[in-house]
Amino acid sequence: MFQAPFVRPPRIAVWLVDLFTPNKQSESIPGDLLEEFSELASKSGVAFARRWYWRQSVKTVAHLIATGFLVAPWLTAGTVVAGCLLWPVFYGSTQKAVVAVLDKYQVYAHIDAHVFWLIYALLIERLVEPFIIGCIIAVAAKGREMVVTMTLGLVVGASNGAGLAHLMPHWSEANFPLAPLLLTTFVSPVMFVIGGGIVREIRSAMSRRPSATHC
Amino acid sequence: MSGRDYLGEFEHIVVLALLRLSGRAYGVTVRQEIEARIGREVSIGAIYATLDRLEAKGYVKSQLGEPTPERGGRSKRFFHVTGKGIAAVNRSHRAIKTMTEGLDLVRSCS
Repeated sequence: MFQAPFVRPPRIAVWLVDLFTPNKQSESIPGDLLEEFSELASKSGVAFARRWYWRQSVKTVAHLIATGFLVAPWLTAGTVVAGCLLWPVFYGSTQKAVVAVLDKYQVYAHIDAHVFWLIYALLIERLVEPFIIGCIIAVAAKGREMVVTMTLGLVVGASNGAGLAHLMPHWSEANFPLAPLLLTTFVSPVMFVIGGGIVREIRSAMSRRPSATHC
Repeated sequence: MSGRDYLGEFEHIVVLALLRLSGRAYGVTVRQEIEARIGREVSIGAIYATLDRLEAKGYVKSQLGEPTPERGGRSKRFFHVTGKGIAAVNRSHRAIKTMTEGLDLVRSCS
């Protein structure tokens, strides 16, 4: 017997919706979108259904973010403040660890290698620390991982941007390390969100029912 | 203010859609009912944000249905309006009716 092939909605859109959907709606929202997508795909064609799915996903994610702020403003604010307070605790710890290792093995005898590892330790620190902080606050804000890490990313990104703008006039006067400054400004906020996204994915995988994985 | 709360515009529309759909009201049917009747394309996220707010106020109640294969093994969440919700709709209707009484809306717009 002929059976129509199962058409899947756009994977990235599905992933985005799953990422932002709170646990309470993890059955209803993705299920409703898939049901309507299948209906549209058979009625109006796959291309139309995919466009519709993308449009719905973007609007839905925007609503979920806004609702996340409105439903739990104190939780969001509290975890963002905690994230900002954790920053100085972690600040420089990776670099200190690398310096300790370099000193122990007396790498400073080979100055090029010493400088190379110091610079890269600084770069790695700028990526690893916000990632760990993002993971920690996402664990604390169960069910609102993406909203709190995005808010923290925006707050830190805005303050870093303001700091960078303040430094701009003195740019030529001193030899500022450009790469770490740009990393702190633009990449660190993204690392908070990546940390939050990974915690969210792990939680979703753990709570996923066996019946859903078979289909 | 509780007990005297009026429904917002979109809350009002969603509650009326639930009443029209009676026992078969869930995200997809509510969204399609609104789109078919007033021609407004709303997102499923907006529907659930409103339904959750209405549920928190005690105006609607929800229950999970059985998982179905066309939904990737996920359940539907069915909604129905409570007595408190119907009272809120009536209150909002009365308020609108009272406020529009004696107004010539067609002439006011021209």
